[in-house]
Amino acid sequence: MAKKKNGWGKKQRAVIVGGVRTPFVKAFGKYLKLDSIDLGDIAVRSLLERTDISHQEIDSIVWGGVILPSHAPNIAREIALDLRLPASVEGMTCTRACASGLQAVTLAAAAIERGEADVVIAGGSDSTSNAPLNLPQKAVHALAPLAFGKAATPGDYLGVLAQMMPITDILPKMPKIAERTTGEVMGESAESMAQRNEISREAQDQFAARSHHRAAEAIASGRFDSEVTAVETPEGWVHADNIVRGDTSVEKLAKLRPVFAKDGTVTAGNASPLTDGAAAVLLMSEEKARALGYKPLAAFRSWSYVAVDPADQLLIGPAIAMPKALDGAKMALKDIDLVDMHEAFAAQVLSVTKALASKGFAEVRLGKNKAVGEVDEDNFNIYGGSLSIGHPFGATGARMVTTVANELANSGRETALLGICAAGGLGAAAVLEAVR
Amino acid sequence: MTDFLLENENARKLVKTLGLPIPVPEKLARAKGPYEERPLDDKKVLVCGVGELQSVLAQSLTKAGAYPLVIGTHESALEPFVGPGEAWARAPELVAPGEAPDGARVDAIVFDGTGLETPEDLHQLYAFIHPWIRRLNRSGRVVVIGRPAADAKKPTHAATRAGLEGFTRSLAKEIGGNGSIANSVFVQKGAEARLDAVLRFLLSPRSAFISCQPFHVTNLAQGDQAPDTHVLGGKVALVTGAARGIGEATAELLAAEGAHVVCLDRPADDAPCSQVAQRIGGSTLLVDITDPDAPDRIAAELKERFGGVDVVVHNAGVTRDKTLGRMQPDAWDMAVDINLGAVIRITDRLLRDDVLRPGGRIICLSSVSGIAGNRGQTNYSAGKAGIVGFVKALAAKVGKKGVTVNAIAPGFIETRLTNAMPVAIREVARRMSAVGQGGTPEDVGQAITFLATPGAVGLSGETVRVCGGALVGA
Repeated sequence: MAKKKNGWGKKQRAVIVGGVRTPFVKAFGKYLKLDSIDLGDIAVRSLLERTDISHQEIDSIVWGGVILPSHAPNIAREIALDLRLPASVEGMTCTRACASGLQAVTLAAAAIERGEADVVIAGGSDSTSNAPLNLPQKAVHALAPLAFGKAATPGDYLGVLAQMMPITDILPKMPKIAERTTGEVMGESAESMAQRNEISREAQDQFAARSHHRAAEAIASGRFDSEVTAVETPEGWVHADNIVRGDTSVEKLAKLRPVFAKDGTVTAGNASPLTDGAAAVLLMSEEKARALGYKPLAAFRSWSYVAVDPADQLLIGPAIAMPKALDGAKMALKDIDLVDMHEAFAAQVLSVTKALASKGFAEVRLGKNKAVGEVDEDNFNIYGGSLSIGHPFGATGARMVTTVANELANSGRETALLGICAAGGLGAAAVLEAVR
Repeated sequence: MTDFLLENENARKLVKTLGLPIPVPEKLARAKGPYEERPLDDKKVLVCGVGELQSVLAQSLTKAGAYPLVIGTHESALEPFVGPGEAWARAPELVAPGEAPDGARVDAIVFDGTGLETPEDLHQLYAFIHPWIRRLNRSGRVVVIGRPAADAKKPTHAATRAGLEGFTRSLAKEIGGNGSIANSVFVQKGAEARLDAVLRFLLSPRSAFISCQPFHVTNLAQGDQAPDTHVLGGKVALVTGAARGIGEATAELLAAEGAHVVCLDRPADDAPCSQVAQRIGGSTLLVDITDPDAPDRIAAELKERFGGVDVVVHNAGVTRDKTLGRMQPDAWDMAVDINLGAVIRITDRLLRDDVLRPGGRIICLSSVSGIAGNRGQTNYSAGKAGIVGFVKALAAKVGKKGVTVNAIAPGFIETRLTNAMPVAIREVARRMSAVGQGGTPEDVGQAITFLATPGAVGLSGETVRVCGGALVGA
């Protein structure tokens, strides 16, 4: 039901009220039969149940996704319809590579702050398992005139056959995470960043091991219980993330072979795996939240999206986005109690933290006269990250916002800085603060 | 327009196998596409010498994508390179003086000679470059940087500075065989920041056919920060003689950098000129530049249709060859007027009426044979050498407006004109350059385009030869 008074121009603060995600599981595994809409349905349904929000209050859904279902790319609207939310709950789907989830959340916050909406569900999902295998364009161009065009003669069929040789050119290709402009696979970019920033194999494996240990501890301690909902699949229930390896060690990781270069350093152990999953966040205007009796968890102080040349250091973007978000929040790194960075590759995270600690980087790339600062290990990715928890592209941003918002609400920490790298040379960052 | 020693693989093999006393020229690496953010992506550049430019070089090279190799005995030599290295993730590598490490190779050598003061100091050239010169990759680059001799306080200093140029010219002849080039750059005190664009050009494949040249980087013309890519975005450029050859190549390159190019040629060349303009999304202007009203028409057209012009390339030229004794007066007049008189008349009008906008770039075509002298070309050489004097004098007058004025002097370029030369003469002319081959119209166009960019603000009053280091000329 349309119920909105016109709120345009009303200045209001957007607050995060709650967040839920599905367990993150390895692609081509337990969620094989669930596409990104199904996963989105599950996360949002659980969010609705856990927050007990009245469906009538919801204005819209903003969703992030990377591999969008081609038959219904506007996942947000499909979720609203699947869950039989009021017809008036509008939906839009955005895509900004691995920053899509954060993009959805900040779009929702912006809409609330502008007075466009009061209650918005934002999140993201991805199912690499359900990536459509496209016919190569060559096959489409050869076949389409026959299939959809005018009546063909036997000669036309022969002509089409001739166009489709060699046969390998027309077989469907496996999807891979390669840059369209450079053709470079993301792991190759991480490999080159490791070399250029002099990040050793050992440092990467240490970081990866720590990520797994921290995530495993968080799961064991029940830290994620309030954030993760069980998922029912045709084969049974999935209760927990299945990528985390609490028993891994630097020694075990050291045995893995480099994947992207013969003498390389990037392995399956220090790279984030292909993952299926979804995460959803409930945002409201502070006034609305208080009126409905919710206790706000956190709010955005700033965010920033930047880009660098993908042919240079594809995943260095956060090293520029994070300082920019800090500037926007009029804060310095030392004012931040908690840093949470998306872990695409250990090499990428360590390249970014190295750049943040570099005076030279600050001077040349940021126009600052001193380094942004050292990221303190004890306040950095304290519950692990994408290496250990997994990385369903569109869901990661909303997962991070949920975990960080809960941490700010419950730990006494006041401020947090998020950083996400993304394909295309994109970088994303946000500063959050606790709402007391 | 084919050089069989370059294009015919069998001929190359045959000459090499038979050990014929013909040097087989190396195919030059050339740039494809418009200006890039990192023209030196992943290149290894040896940085050496004694001078004050270490941090300028560090900034410039790492930003352009190169890995610096720094000669020194202690980690402290790397100091200026650490910060920029971290900024662009191009960590410098320290190499000990003396013998180069086994297997080490570099794509370019940059020698900072700004600290050299006495003839004894010139030994540094030998000490630093000798161990590495045979480690230079194909299509390699050597840039020797110094202070201008003219600014020296003592004759000894001036002598030392001038020495750098002779060294570089000779070195260029030695490394031309593998497609490499060497040039010297003399940078005025206070103009160091203007080195960046010059280095990006001279170390990149865009300078493939420029060798043995001295460049003088000065503060003569005013100018600010310049873009690294899409360098002529929003600019209007006039190219005379744009229907074919160097003019056509230049028009295409200027357009690729974002300029709107006004292609000017004689009314008789309407068809080819319009085709060029159409292909690059430019405009056509059909004027005979020797007409008395040509300056008026050109100025009016540029002002009315485009509100002015930013880049003027005086490329139209003509030869009317005869020895002086046999030359008819009209042949004299025509060659001198088209090559020099018309250039001056049009330039004067564009400046007088402020049709050329602040920060403008004027590039005139001179010629190596104009500079060196050539039998049968007294008229042509008078005109083309006149251009050298013209740009030098005008540069001093218009620098305040941020306008630079330069000349390009092409050597042997593979064009319709040179293709019509007798085979034997053509073969000799080709092999007379340090790189053992002729240049292409694009090579000349690249030099013109570079001088047209905002980044080339440090160069004014120069005559740059695009000749592959030809034996003739100065």
